[in-house]
Amino acid sequence: MRDLMLSGPGRVVGTTLAVLMLTGAFFLAIGRDPVELMGLIVRSAAGDGYAITESLVRATPILLCALATALPARLGLITVGAEGQLYFGALLGTGFVLANLGATSAAPYMAMIVVAMLAGAAWALLPAVLRSHLGVNETISTLLVNYVAALLVTWVVYGPWKSAANLGWPATADFPEAFKPSTFFDSRVHSGLWIAIGLAVLLHWTFVRTRWGLTLDVLRSNPRAGIAAGLNWRRNVLLTMALGGMLAGLAGILETASIQGRLQANLSAGAGLSGFLVAWLARNHCLRIIPMSLLVGALLASGDGLQMFANVPSSIALVVQGLLFVAVLLVGGYANRLQVRRG
Amino acid sequence: MDSLDIVFTGFLISALRSATPLLLTLLGECLGQRTGVINLGAEGQMLVGAMAGYGATAAFGNPWVGLLAGAGAGVALSAVHALLVVGAQANQFASGLAVWMLGFGLSAYFGAALVGQQVTAFDSIDVGAAAQWPVIGSVIAGMTPTVLLALLLVPVIGLWFYRTRTGLRWRAVGESPAAARAAGVSPATVQIQAVLVGGLLSGLGGAALSVDYTRTWAEGMSAGRGLVAVGLVIVARWNPWWTLPAALLFGGAEALSLRLQTADTPISAQLLHILPYLVSLVVLTLTCLRRSDSGTPAGLKAVMDR
Repeated sequence: MRDLMLSGPGRVVGTTLAVLMLTGAFFLAIGRDPVELMGLIVRSAAGDGYAITESLVRATPILLCALATALPARLGLITVGAEGQLYFGALLGTGFVLANLGATSAAPYMAMIVVAMLAGAAWALLPAVLRSHLGVNETISTLLVNYVAALLVTWVVYGPWKSAANLGWPATADFPEAFKPSTFFDSRVHSGLWIAIGLAVLLHWTFVRTRWGLTLDVLRSNPRAGIAAGLNWRRNVLLTMALGGMLAGLAGILETASIQGRLQANLSAGAGLSGFLVAWLARNHCLRIIPMSLLVGALLASGDGLQMFANVPSSIALVVQGLLFVAVLLVGGYANRLQVRRG
Repeated sequence: MDSLDIVFTGFLISALRSATPLLLTLLGECLGQRTGVINLGAEGQMLVGAMAGYGATAAFGNPWVGLLAGAGAGVALSAVHALLVVGAQANQFASGLAVWMLGFGLSAYFGAALVGQQVTAFDSIDVGAAAQWPVIGSVIAGMTPTVLLALLLVPVIGLWFYRTRTGLRWRAVGESPAAARAAGVSPATVQIQAVLVGGLLSGLGGAALSVDYTRTWAEGMSAGRGLVAVGLVIVARWNPWWTLPAALLFGGAEALSLRLQTADTPISAQLLHILPYLVSLVVLTLTCLRRSDSGTPAGLKAVMDR
């Protein structure tokens, strides 16, 4: 029994059972039939072609944000800044689009992506420098700058970049077709999904196969020994956080250009925090991040279906997401304790 | 009284009002961190406190019942953090984020029915002759019950923490769990108590926010105050007495941004909303810049620096 608890599959089974029990208990507490409601969640998330593509759409920014969290986590950093980096990437990327509204060729499209990724990196570098050079805790600083980035987006869509064409709705002008990523058949699934999956595979390969991956492992598990051996901890803090910021910035501009078609407030819909959960679920393993983000994306996408067909507020999906996080920490924590006790 | 005084006292009152929900949360977070537990879930606890407090006030027509309900909801949610951190010994940052996520979801779910409802306000407090005192008289007269409650809790908790045996036990657990255990104090019990007290105060802070300060309920309305509290504990050097000036930094920045908005400044309102977060980040950085480890509970260093 103990060995089963410690194994990878054992943890997965334990976490699944725990989340089913917690969710079932919550559904009972609000007076709903747990089996019926769970069935509805599955159907709303993956019941037909439309549901599946909507789940994939929701999973795409979460996948990128999870990778953005996993990168600094390879160094042992706990960052929750993907949300802010996503906003800032979307902000500067949109700025570039608005300055080039007449563009038709592919070059400005690529430039928009690059601008957004650099913006995400720049936004991540602020807490990174605070951490590496001043010792400010990165979890707290990333959370604070998230609010700043989100408010900057709110400011431009209510103020200087607000388009009169939206009849009072706070948003920028629509993106021209040249700036929209190609979509998959006639769904809203866009090329960002394949890019994100490709990046996950690439990162996994980098972490497992390259010298740099090993450097990060050493600095994470034993920073003092790593630094004594001549490894540069500070530079790697900046590097991992900036690279992570690029991925979150990419998520921001893809979501803006493809799904929303213009910059609006609240564009992230919590993708940054969901990405943190996914990275934790996958224990920062970039290949495992792919199915986990699909799972969480599907769960969140099911909320809209539930609201429509079962007359349950869509926020019920957020409750289940929170219970999932609690379950994984509960099972993981007790499993770790068993492991420590066995030595 | 000349006009400068009026501007000053008006500003002080609005800073105090804005700081009150944060101050309550900050006091709770401070106690928790002193026992070696950091809780980002304060944000979620504020949200369930705000939602439950608003709902109870709307249902019972009594804001005091609302404060009680908010505090109770905060305790209930913080029990999850206690279970995860003390029970399962999960990572404290991750556990706090899970509690935030859960609290956001629960408050959004149960709060959906509360949007647009009206609540009864607190009766204004009769301060009697104190209202006539020079300078601070008008500040005292402008206080609401939650402001007064938060201001009174600072010395109560400060004295309790530094002058009683229980306070000593709590501090000992944060400084050295091993020494506390040797002295017959169970660190786990103290940490659970501290997390639950933190839940009570942040739930109360959330209720103060929705029932007294904004007098509305909106999804995610705490807008990072709980997270700001986690950072401002460091600025307050983990000292309950210093939570008041730390909270006033945020409250003052928010009051200033509101003041500038009404004064027809060319800076937009959305941009001014950034000010409190920026101020919090800057003072946090300045605090860390001094590089003095004085005041950091030893048990917390392992969590923060890893």
